[in-house]
Amino acid sequence: MADYKALIAQLTAVAATPGKSVAAVIKETGKEAFGCFPLHTPEELVYAAGYIPVGMWGGRTEIKLADKYLQGFCCTIIKANIEMGLNGTYKDLKGVIIPCICDTLKCVSEDWIYACPQIPVIPIAYPMQRKIDGAIEYMVEEFRHVQAKLEEISGRKITDEQIEAAFAIYEDYRQAMREFVEVAADYPLTIDAKTRHLIIKAAYFMDKAKYTAIVKDIIAELKQLPKEEAKIKVVVSGLVSEPVEVLDILTENGIAIVADDLSQASRKFRTPARAEGTALEKMAGIIADQKGDTFLYEPEKYKGSMLIDQYKAKKADGIIYFQMKFCDPEEFDFPIVKKEMEEAGIPLLYLEVDQQIDSFEQLRTRIQSFAEIL
Amino acid sequence: MFVGIDIGSSSSKVAILNENKELVGLAVENLGTGTNGIQIVLDKAFTQAGVTPEDIKYTVVTGYGRMTYEGADTQITEISCHAKGTAFFNCDAKTIIDIGGQDAKVIKIDAAGNVSNFNMNEKCAAGTGRFLEVMARVLDCKLGDLSDLAKASKKDVSISSVCTVFAESEVISCLSAGESISDVAKGAHRAVARRVAGMYNRVSGEPPVVMTGGVALNADMITCLSDELKTTVTPVSHPQLAGAVGAAVFAYEKYHKAKK
Amino acid sequence: MGEERKSSKQLLAELQAKHYADAQQAKAEGKPVAWSASIAMQEILEAMDIAVVYPENHAAAIGARKESMEFINNAEGRGYSTDICSYARVNIGYSDIKHAEAQDIPLPDFVFCCDNLCNTVLKWYENLAKDLNIPMVLVNTPFVYDDEVPERSVKYMRKEFDHVIRQLEEITGKKMDPKRLEEVMETSNEAAKWWKAAYSTAVKNPSPLSGFDMFNYMAAAVTMRGKKETVELFRTWHDELKERGEAGMGPWKPGEDEKYRVLWDGIACWTNLSTTFKTLKKYGVNVVCSTYPDIWNLRYGSNDLDGLVKAYAEHYANRSIKFSVDKMSALAEEFQLDGILYHSNRSCKLMDFRQYEIQRQVEARTGIPYVSFDGDQTDPRIFSDAQYETRIQALVEVMENKKNAKGGK
Repeated sequence: MADYKALIAQLTAVAATPGKSVAAVIKETGKEAFGCFPLHTPEELVYAAGYIPVGMWGGRTEIKLADKYLQGFCCTIIKANIEMGLNGTYKDLKGVIIPCICDTLKCVSEDWIYACPQIPVIPIAYPMQRKIDGAIEYMVEEFRHVQAKLEEISGRKITDEQIEAAFAIYEDYRQAMREFVEVAADYPLTIDAKTRHLIIKAAYFMDKAKYTAIVKDIIAELKQLPKEEAKIKVVVSGLVSEPVEVLDILTENGIAIVADDLSQASRKFRTPARAEGTALEKMAGIIADQKGDTFLYEPEKYKGSMLIDQYKAKKADGIIYFQMKFCDPEEFDFPIVKKEMEEAGIPLLYLEVDQQIDSFEQLRTRIQSFAEIL
Repeated sequence: MFVGIDIGSSSSKVAILNENKELVGLAVENLGTGTNGIQIVLDKAFTQAGVTPEDIKYTVVTGYGRMTYEGADTQITEISCHAKGTAFFNCDAKTIIDIGGQDAKVIKIDAAGNVSNFNMNEKCAAGTGRFLEVMARVLDCKLGDLSDLAKASKKDVSISSVCTVFAESEVISCLSAGESISDVAKGAHRAVARRVAGMYNRVSGEPPVVMTGGVALNADMITCLSDELKTTVTPVSHPQLAGAVGAAVFAYEKYHKAKK
Repeated sequence: MGEERKSSKQLLAELQAKHYADAQQAKAEGKPVAWSASIAMQEILEAMDIAVVYPENHAAAIGARKESMEFINNAEGRGYSTDICSYARVNIGYSDIKHAEAQDIPLPDFVFCCDNLCNTVLKWYENLAKDLNIPMVLVNTPFVYDDEVPERSVKYMRKEFDHVIRQLEEITGKKMDPKRLEEVMETSNEAAKWWKAAYSTAVKNPSPLSGFDMFNYMAAAVTMRGKKETVELFRTWHDELKERGEAGMGPWKPGEDEKYRVLWDGIACWTNLSTTFKTLKKYGVNVVCSTYPDIWNLRYGSNDLDGLVKAYAEHYANRSIKFSVDKMSALAEEFQLDGILYHSNRSCKLMDFRQYEIQRQVEARTGIPYVSFDGDQTDPRIFSDAQYETRIQALVEVMENKKNAKGGK
């Protein structure tokens, strides 16, 4: 077994240079890459189609060309995706899947057709009435539609066996990640905020089976080590915990992330699949069963109470709400979460972030003063 | 004699054409709408052309202050006037960029100088002359010095905020982080150029591209715009006066059309 | 002769007053009141005789009365971002303040949502449901990215429809009468037909209809499509307009000529209604059509529930760029447009983030000049008079050039 430090370094390097990592995995596997916009994208189908699914979560880039399609008040993750589609960063992608899950993504699934005509787009529309009779059936048919489009683009049939096999690999991945975030909470110094983020993010740029094997090794090695204690422990919520510079500021202030409610992290793997049904039904089931997700209809709005549960279970000191600027659904959830945290007497730090921030002074001041009151 | 007046948010400009459609008076004053700048600049132009107010047959006013100025026969937008003024200078331009104090514009024109399409900045966007004024103030230099400062830049400093107010605090952070004034000035120019390039792409702008308006006097800004648009941007002659000249041409045309 | 026939304007005022009074009375009598999204399946509510108030319509009224900031400040004070829809901020503010000079409305016993408009309305109603601790009823209409509403969506939405009826039967303790539903569907279809007929009179050149009047009548299309009186209102309005048109009258008073015919894309700027209207009128610009009113032209066959759910899913806000471009290009021809006015409505990301591409494609196809301006439906801080006027005037100058180039008229 390799040294855990080397394994961690391997994954964090993958996440730190996505372009290089994707080029490497294309070379290594001989497979082509296919882009997956957030959120809840059926990567299993892409994998079954013989592609390497690549996560598209924006990134630091100078916004120039995207202004042709999007106003200044657009979520920077999505705007960066359009920018990188236009500036050639995504030229090796054979296609992209864009879930029409919020108003911005609905529009961008359309804009993409004209902005990047050389990269075909497959939209997908989820059922928001997830719990009713008929929702799973609709979702499965929607997956079949995506499957047909993938077959059209690749020129290859996707068999149900391939989908089952891909689902098994992903289910194994999700289970490993649930364990990873639990174990990582016991080693907040080794797995500091940035390391935790990069390890989780690396999954978006690697072959899932290979990635999972490495994560399992890391978990096993970590468990051999004596447990660590962080000065300050927090639970984070939001779309992503980026930019990474913010995570360095957390570490500088002795703050460790012991649990998360992030779209890029736990929301993606925290819901176990149902025991019964086909792979597609199980994939639909995960969406139907997901709780407290900003982007999936839930009039009960469990997010706040789930954060409180995580806070208590991990004996955390506070909660940080990473608000991606101009992300409406997250902005709608905030006042509800805020009220619930106030009622529960839980310290809550609201950090408005975007991926293109160049100056961190204000965020540093806010984080430091939050650390001082905890 | 035919007078064109362009009352901007921070400067006033006048152009006078004679019966032969020749420019005989041109004046600029760095006082904008709501000041006595307009009277000063009118006097200057009249003296230069050697005329008195009685010789004036028609006056057209344009610019931000055009609605409140009462001494003109007609008011026309700066969009049409910049197009007209550009055509007067015999440019074969297909696209005009005008960075004004309050609004930045990308104007597409036909051969006769008629506007076929145009695009203006989103509210608060950091693509306007006002943004550069704010930058000059933060960098503690004159607006006219920005160009030379930026040319001396040796390093890329990116200013990414789309809003003037946020960009200002971003620039202050850059300076406190030890970035040089030159590099920050360059960064500000590139930020403006990026915003304008967005507007240019939005209306599917086409070369040749010319620039009008006072910001066209800023040579480094022209370089940055040329880089962003990947085509050579040329300032028109008397860029600051393009609007006033266009207004004067309109005055000439309106007068003769009415006479027919 | 008996009583003199009422004008559509009188009918509109009376019906609007009655609409709000009925809701207040239902509340007083302890009957359930719904707050509903503006393009939700009102047929179900009407058939079950449930009193409804439409927050979007109410927020617009508050905006037009220029008192929206009070509610916006309340919502922002509770943590709502300035970036989210101002209708939502106004309404969420109202749910706490509970009084507006423009109009008081009863608080809801449940919220009734359809996300065919946007995902925003779903998030907004979730918050109302959570905050006020009341049930939420939702019909989700998946985004129609293909050319047609797919069969799988129709099947799913029909299941939702049945689910919604069960939910409402539980909330009200009453059974849905299918016969009554059929009747309401007939009436709604009839109202939609006359609504369309009335605003389509603007096809005539000059148009007998002023577009800003249409924005006023739209309130009835939003709030009372399922009522017989609404059929009467729209028929009366149509007849008045037809008569004006036949008499060769334009949109305004005699002597005030319609010089340019434009399309208004997006919601009105309710807080700046008068400025936006007067500036256009000053230059002889009439809004003869809009992409928006057609949303309420919801049509389906007799007792055709599949058709009903499909109609709610297939209006332009829930459709592709291709659909919007086709639609606007068709309107350009039908209404003989000289220009298009795009409201870059800060509240409405769903419309904004497709608008640039739509602008380019519609211009390429029709050659019609356009302009866009920054504004907002109910947040008065976005709109700027000077910016608006300059852009309108510049559009007028371009339209004039094009007319002259064509040989004038």
